[in-house]
Amino acid sequence: MKHHPLCSDCEDKITPMDLPIPDGLKAEWAVSESRRQFLGRCGKVLGWASLATLFGEASVRHVARAAGPEPQAGFGGNTLGLPHFAPKAKRAIYLFMSGAPPQVDLFDYKPNLVLQFDKDMPASVRGNQQLTGMTSGQARFPVAPSHWPFSRHGQTGTWISDLLPYTARMVDDLTFIKSTNTDAINHEPAIMLINTGNMNAGKPCLGAWLAYGLGSMNDNLPTFVVLQTKTNPKENNQPVSSRLWSSGFLSSEFSGVGLRSVGDPVLYLEDPPGVDRDTRREMLDAVEEINRQTLAEVGDPETNSRIAQYEMAFRMQSSVPDLTDLSKEPASTWELYGPEAKEPGTFAYNCLLARRLAERGVRFTQVYKRGWDVHDNVVGMLPVLCQETDRGCYALVTDLKRRGLLDDTLVIWAGEFGRTVYSQGGLSQENYGRDHHPRCFTTWMTGGGVRPGVAYGETDDYSYNVVKDPVHVRDFNATILHCLGIDHNKFAYRFQGLDQKLTSPVPAFVVQGILV
Amino acid sequence: MRAAATVARAAEDALRRARRIPRVWIGAGCVGIFILLLPLFFPLDGKSHADWLQFLGRFHPLVVHLPIGLIVVLPLVEFAGTRRQSFREAAGFLLQISLGTCVVSIFFGFLLAYGSGEIGTTVTRHMRGGILLAIEMLLCLAVRSSWLRAGRSRLYATLLTVVLVTLAWTAHQGGSLTHGSDYLTRYMPAPLKRVLAPSAVSSHPNSFFARHIYPVLDTKCVACHGTNKEKGGLRVDSYESLMIGGKDGIVIAPRNPERSLLLQKVTLPPTDPHFMPAEGRTPLTLEEIARIRAWVREGASPDAASVPGIFVAEDQEQAPPPVGDYREFMVEIRQMQQSPGAKLVPVSANPSDGLILRTADIAGTFDDAQLTKFQRFAPFIVEAELARTEVTDAGVETLVQFKNLRALHLDGTAVSGRTLGKLSSLSQLTFLNLSGTKVTSDAVAPLKLDANLRHLYLFNTPAEPAPTADSGARSNP
Repeated sequence: MKHHPLCSDCEDKITPMDLPIPDGLKAEWAVSESRRQFLGRCGKVLGWASLATLFGEASVRHVARAAGPEPQAGFGGNTLGLPHFAPKAKRAIYLFMSGAPPQVDLFDYKPNLVLQFDKDMPASVRGNQQLTGMTSGQARFPVAPSHWPFSRHGQTGTWISDLLPYTARMVDDLTFIKSTNTDAINHEPAIMLINTGNMNAGKPCLGAWLAYGLGSMNDNLPTFVVLQTKTNPKENNQPVSSRLWSSGFLSSEFSGVGLRSVGDPVLYLEDPPGVDRDTRREMLDAVEEINRQTLAEVGDPETNSRIAQYEMAFRMQSSVPDLTDLSKEPASTWELYGPEAKEPGTFAYNCLLARRLAERGVRFTQVYKRGWDVHDNVVGMLPVLCQETDRGCYALVTDLKRRGLLDDTLVIWAGEFGRTVYSQGGLSQENYGRDHHPRCFTTWMTGGGVRPGVAYGETDDYSYNVVKDPVHVRDFNATILHCLGIDHNKFAYRFQGLDQKLTSPVPAFVVQGILV
Repeated sequence: MRAAATVARAAEDALRRARRIPRVWIGAGCVGIFILLLPLFFPLDGKSHADWLQFLGRFHPLVVHLPIGLIVVLPLVEFAGTRRQSFREAAGFLLQISLGTCVVSIFFGFLLAYGSGEIGTTVTRHMRGGILLAIEMLLCLAVRSSWLRAGRSRLYATLLTVVLVTLAWTAHQGGSLTHGSDYLTRYMPAPLKRVLAPSAVSSHPNSFFARHIYPVLDTKCVACHGTNKEKGGLRVDSYESLMIGGKDGIVIAPRNPERSLLLQKVTLPPTDPHFMPAEGRTPLTLEEIARIRAWVREGASPDAASVPGIFVAEDQEQAPPPVGDYREFMVEIRQMQQSPGAKLVPVSANPSDGLILRTADIAGTFDDAQLTKFQRFAPFIVEAELARTEVTDAGVETLVQFKNLRALHLDGTAVSGRTLGKLSSLSQLTFLNLSGTKVTSDAVAPLKLDANLRHLYLFNTPAEPAPTADSGARSNP
C-alpha cells in the first residue's frame, strides 16, 4: 500500500520532511500546518493532481520549455536551435499602417483608370467578392481613378504617387509587393490575421514568435517593443489592442512591451522618493525569492515570466532613459527626420526611436500608425496621412542605411488590407471614397534579406485582382521569418494538440522572387 | 593492246560489280554526298532563312542522339563479334544505320544553322566535326569488308577509335551550343577547376563592369552573343567586343542610356519580336537593367570600381568558407549565455557558420582587456559586435588575430583609426562599420584599397565623403 502524507492513519510512520517534495512546501508545512491549512490544501492538491493527469506529463514539459531561460540540451543561437540557417537580418522594424492604405492612390499605378472615371466597374472583375456592409447596398460601383498624379523615380523608374515625395527618393532600395492579399474584409480579423496568422485572437504575433525563437540581443531592453503613434482626432482611427502584440499561448514574457506615446515612455520607471536603487534591488530579490517558492510549489511557468519581467523592469530603469535621451543626436538626424521627430508620439519620433532600438539590439520593433481607414473622404484625409508618415519612413530607411544598420535589419511597411478602386459613396471630381479590399494591396520591405529595387506581383487594370505572383499574408510572414533565418515550416510550438505555427494551418511559401 | 584490254576488262568488272549494288544504295550515296557538300553550296551567312528550314532544323537535337547511341554501341558489338558470329553480322548492320542516321542528323543540323542564321566558331566546329565523323564512318564501312576477310588488319580498329574521339569532341561542341560553354565547369569543385578551366584573367577584376555588369551578360546574353554563336554579328563576351557592337551598330552609347541599343532591346515589352533575350530565355531583372543603365549613364567605363547611386547586392557565389566546429567549447559558450556579460552566440544551428561576439548588454564596460579573453575563440568568430564599447586602437590589433572575421562593428567607439590598416590582413572581412568614430580619411585610405571590404561605413566621421543629395555613407571601394 502506498503511503501518503495526507492519509491520517500513516502520519506516525512518515513525516512530510522525508518526502521528495519542494523545500518551500516543507517550510510551509512546518510553520503553519493546521486543520484549516490542511483542508485548504486538500482542494488545491486534488485540483492540481487531476489537471496534471488530464494534460499528461508531456504537455507540461512543453509548457516548461516555452517558459524561457532554463538551459536545454538544444543547440544553436538559443535553446531551440534557431536560426535554422545563417540569417540575412538579425532584427526587424515593422511600420504598421493600421486601417488599410489605398494602394491605388499610393503605389499601384493604373493610368488607364482616368478613362474609366465614373464608369461602372465590370461585374466580372468583382466576381464573387464579398462586400462590406458599407458598400453592399450601393446601386453602382463607379471607378474612382486616383486624384493624384504619379511619376517615375529612381534608377528603377518606379511609379509612385506624388503624395509620397520622400518614399519616392528611396524606391531603389525598396522591394514592393503589389500582390499582397488576405482573407478578411474587416479590420479586426484582418489585422489579427496579418499579425498572428489567425483571424481569431489567442495566437502569438510575429514579434512574439521572433522573441521566443531568436531570443534577446540585449538583456537590458525588451526583445519586442511596440511603439504607438499619437492619434490624430480628425482621422478615422480603428482601435488597435494589445491582442496584436500578445504572446498568445507562448509565455507572456515574449509579448510586446509598449512604450507610451505621451509622458514617460514607461510608467513608474523612476524610483519613488526615499527608495534608492539598492533598496529596490533588495526588494526585488525578496520578491523573486517568494516567486521562486511559488514556482516550486505550483510549477506555473507564468511565475517564471513574472520573475523575468521584474528583472527586465529593473534593468530598463537605466536603459530606457538612455534610449529616449535624444540630446546627443547629431544635427543631421533632425535634418533627416524633420522637426516633428523631437515631439514624442509622432510617427517621425517613433521612427527615430525604432532606429535607436535597432542600434541597441532590440530584436523586433513594431510601430503602429492608425488612421488609414479613409472610407468616404480619400481626398481629404490621404494627404494628411501621407504627410504624417512619408518622411519618417524615408528617414528611418536612410538613417539605417547610412549608419550601416540596414544590412542586417529588415524594415517592413504594411497595412492589413487594401482599398477598392470603386468609390464608396458619392464620386465627384473633388472627392471620393474607398472601401475595404482584401484581394490585393501593396506592401514594401527593405534591408537584410530582400532584393532592393524590385516590384513583385501584378494586379489587373482595376487593381482589384492579382494577375501575377500572389503573396498571401501567410507567405508574407513566411518570407519575413526566412529573412531572419527561420524555416517557417519547422518553427512550431505544440499547443492544444497541434504543432502551431505562425503560418499554419494552410501551407505558406517563402516568396523566393524578392530574396537576395 | 594487252594493257588496254586489261583496263577494259577491269572496267567491265567494276561495272558488273556496280550493277550488283542495288540502285537504292547508289541513290543514297549520292544524296549523302550532296548533304556532306551542302555547306559548300550554301555557306552559313549569319542571316536567318525560311521558317520551315528552322522548323525542321529544330529536330536536330532529337535526331542527333540516335547515331550517337549507335556509334557508342558499335565497338562493343564488334568486340562481342570476336566471340560469336551473329554479333559480327549485327555490327555490320549497325554501322550502316549509324552512318545513315549520322548523315540525316547532319542534314537537320545544317537546316538549323542555316535557317536560324547562327554563326560563330563553335557552330562551325560542330558542323565540321559532324561532317568529319560521317566521312570517317564511310571509311570504316569501306575498310570493314577487307578486315572481315583478313581478320588481322588494325586499320579498322584504329578508325573506330578515331570515330569515337571525333564523336566526343563534336558532341561537346554541340553541348556547348545548347547549354553554354561553361555548363560543365560552372559547378566544378574549385581545385579541379583551377587545373582544368582557369578563368580568363580580366585586366580589371575589381571594376564595376567585371563584378556587376559582365556576370549579367554572361548568364543572360553570351549563349547567343559569344564565341558559340554570334547572332546579329554581336558578341558581348568581353568589354571590347561589347563596345564594338554588332551589325546594327553600337549597342552601348556611353553616357546615353536612351540611345543604347542593348538597353532598348531588353526593355521592350516581352511580346515584342525584338525583345531580348529572345526565344523564351530568362529576361533581365529590373535590378540588372537598372545596374546596366546606371553604368552606361556614368560613361560605361571598363575600370571604374563603382557607379554612384547604384546599390548592388552581394554576390551569392562568394559564400564565405566554413569555419571550424566550435562545439567542444559549447559548455563555456552556454555559461556565457546564461550570465550577464559579453556572449558568444552561434550564427545559426549550423556550426560551420561560426559565432557572433555580442556585447550589447555591457557595451559601456567592455574594453580591450575583455576582448583579449576571446582570443581563444578567435578562429570561430565571424562577427564582432563592438559598437559603443570601450574598445580602442589596441583592441583593433587584437582583432587582427580573428582570421575568420567577416563583419566588424566598431561604430561609436574611441577607435582613432591608427591601427586600421592592419585589418587588411583579414581576408574574409567584408563589413566594417566605423560610423560615429573619429577616424580620418588618411586612416581609412588603406582599407579603401581592399576589394573584399565591400561595406565600409563612415557616417558621422571626419572621413565621411562629402554628402551628395540623399546619399548615405555607403561606399563600394
